[in-house]
Amino acid sequence: MRASKLFKLARSNLVRELGALAVSSGGVALGIGCLVFFLALGAGLQGVVNEVFPVSTREVEVVVPSMAIGNLLGEARLDDAVVARLRKVPGVAAAYPKMSLRIPAVTRYNGLFFGREIHMGLEVVGVGLMPELVGEDARLPFQDRGDGAPIPIVVSRRLLEIYNKVFAPQRGLPRLTDSMLIGFQFPIELGRSYIAGKTMPNAQEAALQLVGFSDRATLAGASMPLTAVMRINRRYGADADNYSSVLLRAQNADQVPEVAASVRRMGLEIDDSERNRALQIGAAVELVTLALGILAGLITGLAAVNTMQAFYASVRERTREIGVLRAVGATRGDVAGVVLAEAAVTGLAGGVVGVLLARLAAALLDRVASNGLPDFPFKPSTFFRFQGWHVALGILVALAAALIGAFFPARAAARLDPAKALTES
Amino acid sequence: MSEPAIRLAGVGKRYPPREPGVAPLDLLIELDLTVARGEFLAIEGQSGSGKSTLLHLLGGLDRDFIGEVRVLGCDLSALSDQELAALRHAQIGFVFQSFNLLPGLSALENVLLPDFFGEGVPDAERRAREALARVGLADKGQSPPAALSGGERQRVAIARALLARPPLLLADEPTGNLDAQTGEGVISLFRELHQEGMTLLIVTHEARVSHAADRVMVLREGRLAAEPGSKHPLESE
Repeated sequence: MRASKLFKLARSNLVRELGALAVSSGGVALGIGCLVFFLALGAGLQGVVNEVFPVSTREVEVVVPSMAIGNLLGEARLDDAVVARLRKVPGVAAAYPKMSLRIPAVTRYNGLFFGREIHMGLEVVGVGLMPELVGEDARLPFQDRGDGAPIPIVVSRRLLEIYNKVFAPQRGLPRLTDSMLIGFQFPIELGRSYIAGKTMPNAQEAALQLVGFSDRATLAGASMPLTAVMRINRRYGADADNYSSVLLRAQNADQVPEVAASVRRMGLEIDDSERNRALQIGAAVELVTLALGILAGLITGLAAVNTMQAFYASVRERTREIGVLRAVGATRGDVAGVVLAEAAVTGLAGGVVGVLLARLAAALLDRVASNGLPDFPFKPSTFFRFQGWHVALGILVALAAALIGAFFPARAAARLDPAKALTES
Repeated sequence: MSEPAIRLAGVGKRYPPREPGVAPLDLLIELDLTVARGEFLAIEGQSGSGKSTLLHLLGGLDRDFIGEVRVLGCDLSALSDQELAALRHAQIGFVFQSFNLLPGLSALENVLLPDFFGEGVPDAERRAREALARVGLADKGQSPPAALSGGERQRVAIARALLARPPLLLADEPTGNLDAQTGEGVISLFRELHQEGMTLLIVTHEARVSHAADRVMVLREGRLAAEPGSKHPLESE
């Protein structure tokens, strides 16, 4: 029996039973709608988590243990020799040392700031990064050009988000974008602290120039070229030989545990607090998504049971017609095929409607969130991320639920004794 | 001489008791019957006499019997379910008392129903229109069964039975639900088919149908007997 004829016959039956079709399809649509909705919500929230806590599954941050005998004896350190050893650890693709600015620094800004007169004084926390780590996030050169030249810095995207969503609205300051700020210069006083009320004898004025926004930058502070930080630390007599931390990039994510174990064997420690936080939040989102997905699966399962009952009733009502089909030459397989084709149409219709329902519900919820929730950092324009596989999975599950639900009714239809079926009143 | 269209030898059909302590029902007992190719046989009998059951045995719809049933040279008990379906599809046309049209299909689609199964029917659409024209319903092809009269529905059912141009037509009380005039039209159609060489076996309890047949047999108390005055065509050869 050709598929086109099979579906033609199935369609003729379904058209007669639109009510039953609507009930069966409706149940499937509800389950699939929930499934696709929750999957898209989970993906959307995971995206927000990744934005707030950008971590790479291939990278770990190596630090000197805060409490170690070697540390007390001055042996645990992160100098060039250790970095060279770290680069040779099996599984390590690259090592990027970082160094904190180890002298106080402040910035004071008095003047027009994008059309608003502001007066600002801030302690500056500085971290030195290798330009390779910042990469293309720097829109202007991220290289130390020595004394007298502005020091290029990159700033965390999260800092800009917090400024725009919290700081700027509270103080009536303008909201800023990447492009507005790139190239912006502001003064820095090296060797001075407002908080400590201290000014070092050789304090010096310089300038910082914002050259980009990067997830690699420190959250609360400014990230400078590593050579600039080393130069400044050395100039003020601070430690310019030992790094604060080293970012290790593994060749692949599977090798991270092995790399971490090797690092610990060297007497060093892995700072994975941020990574763990991100992973924990991500895992929580995944867990909730899974739980909601299971709930949606249960709804779809109930829809399959409902489909089964509907098709049993349909087969009972059409017993005589099934006898006629057998009389004109249908095999048992043909009869089962007709019932399963009807189920497939029901499932596909339910799946498509379910996906549309999910998108509609997501659009409504986004609209409510957009109008009803206050603006907050990292508030997404949508809480949902519909991916192609969500739709494909939704429709496949709908199809499977309908076919599973109709399997036993189809088998019962195929097993009907044609002679008895023809005498059914 | 070619093998007859139908040959029954010692055919019986027993229904098991519905309750313990009740004797099984022997609906058909030791039936022997030969129907020549091209013959028009009517089998009379009262309601519940087993006429429809006999028809179902002949059509391979009921395989639970004893004895030998040969139809168009095939021993039905030796055929698989699929082979029986293929036999019904290509070789046997069925006409039922209650028409049994599928309500979701148009008249034309109902006629085309055998084309949905097996290898289909060659040139099915043209044949279906011809069959409808032959039964006088050329202009009713798109009508749903609900829009047709009883007589029209039965004619659509006959057109469906003719689609694959089967050599054997089995009809179960084909005029049972029709008024006298409409029934006459259907009987005339059967006569035409018979004259064209088709083998017809019609079970009925109406004398007007039997009068159109070459031979009439009566099914009574599970046994077949020749109607007095009715002559077996093979006997005349």
